[in-house]
Amino acid sequence: MTTTAAPATSTEVVGFDQVTKAYGTVRAVDGLSLRLHPGQTVALLGPNGAGKSTTLDLLLGLRQPDAGTVSVFGTTPREAIVAGRVGAMLQSGGLMDDVTVAELVGLSCSLHPRPYKPSDVMARAGIAQIADRKVNKLSGGQAQRVRFALATAGDSDLIILDEPTTGMDVSARQAFWATMREQADQGRTVLFATHYLEEADAIADRVLVLHRGRLLADGTAAEIKARAGARRVSFDLEGTVDAEALRALPFLTALDVSGRTVRIQSADADATVHALYGLGVYPRNLEVAGLGLEQAFVAITEAEEARQS
Amino acid sequence: MNSLIRLELTRALRNKKFLFFSVLYPAVLFLIIAGNADDTRMDGTGLTLATYMMVSMASFGALTAVLMGNSERIAKERESGWVRQLRLTPLPGRGYVLAKTAGAAVVSLPSIVVVFLAAAVIKHVRLDAWQWLALTGVIWAGSLVFAALGVAIGYLASGDAVRPVTMIVYFGLSILGGLWMPSTTFPRFLQDIAEWLPTHAYAALGRAVEESRAPHTTDVVVLAGYFVLFAGGAAWLYRKDTLKA
Repeated sequence: MTTTAAPATSTEVVGFDQVTKAYGTVRAVDGLSLRLHPGQTVALLGPNGAGKSTTLDLLLGLRQPDAGTVSVFGTTPREAIVAGRVGAMLQSGGLMDDVTVAELVGLSCSLHPRPYKPSDVMARAGIAQIADRKVNKLSGGQAQRVRFALATAGDSDLIILDEPTTGMDVSARQAFWATMREQADQGRTVLFATHYLEEADAIADRVLVLHRGRLLADGTAAEIKARAGARRVSFDLEGTVDAEALRALPFLTALDVSGRTVRIQSADADATVHALYGLGVYPRNLEVAGLGLEQAFVAITEAEEARQS
Repeated sequence: MNSLIRLELTRALRNKKFLFFSVLYPAVLFLIIAGNADDTRMDGTGLTLATYMMVSMASFGALTAVLMGNSERIAKERESGWVRQLRLTPLPGRGYVLAKTAGAAVVSLPSIVVVFLAAAVIKHVRLDAWQWLALTGVIWAGSLVFAALGVAIGYLASGDAVRPVTMIVYFGLSILGGLWMPSTTFPRFLQDIAEWLPTHAYAALGRAVEESRAPHTTDVVVLAGYFVLFAGGAAWLYRKDTLKA
């Protein structure tokens, strides 16, 4: 499912070619190839341990691949950072203690070759009112906003965000994504890692699904959800169960019949349930539930394994 | 990089506890030790106790500022991920270590000067103008050896280990090197060890200035050797840490 390797062009933002990184015997990233193009907002989706953080570390030159090559704007990650083309916030990125938010943002701006005004950066990140607060006295959500300010201190072309909304409540999360959308609207390429399917769905125009260090899916959020089977439908049937008729239901991606209990995964639960009634059966205890990301992964992985065998 | 140095300084000067221990504490200790010293000359030198201890305590103060300033901060910031965050900026890799060292050096200068002031004003230590300047320069420059050691410890130890390691090294070097009391008062075998310690050579350079004579080659070589060892070790540990991310 990896993107076919296209010849590197000057407009290519990020290029991974057969990149592998192992810790001991665990392959955190396993033969990963991908390309990012300018202006895209890309979600890197995967459960914990899927290799998201390692992928970002490799992209930022914080780790070196065991095999394969990583290029950013046609150069090494480090050169791209030195040129000020990349702004990044990492989950593991700490903040300097004993300084104020304004001092830290000021530092970040002064290190950038094409800096913005610190007051503008703080206003945009929504931290202007906590400018004089000490960095070590911030809440988790505030610290995330400060990290975001550090990542957007200058005119960078690529913004990398590693699980940026960790520690934020729902409203802070919404405000954050509104801020981030402004970045994307200015034509920047944004790559963010998340394990929230909804975030990928709402924000990204391209979703990369990572599982055990491999790229499992690459497409729009709608395509990924369709592949995962977005909804689970379960019910009990009385009398005989006609599995063949059930299997023919529209948008069905998986079917499991045990006794009289039927469990279905559907890309469009409404249509599937509607058609179910059309079969002339009377389902009892009908439940329709969203498919969690973990289950979506199981669904995609199982489909992948079935396809390979 | 200047902006990082500036911020490191602001922050160091804001840390009252650190300032007290590195700037005032050595001077206070000097006054206690040289408290009721008379004009008797110290063994093997032409110096009074006050003059002798002035160099010891100025060296001790500089040592405190650079060793403590570097090791614990670096270990802590490695752990918190601040070092990683800085690597996402155009700041050159060495910039962090240099800024830390510069920050420590700015604190170490007042700690030297305060000891000198206490010695001159309260204990009436008199030296030529060139000697005061040379002493300041020698002790300040020599403290770079221990700044490098602090960096090495900061990259070697982590978490709970860094404080005890720093303390053992700090007190070990201070006491055995003869900064707290002249090493000539030690038993023979300790004196033999003391002579090869960087702190001993460090204070000996300052004393050479006080006696207005050229320093012993051994002391210069010992100190230079330790600098190469510590700086090399720090560079190696830094690179190892970078590869580990």
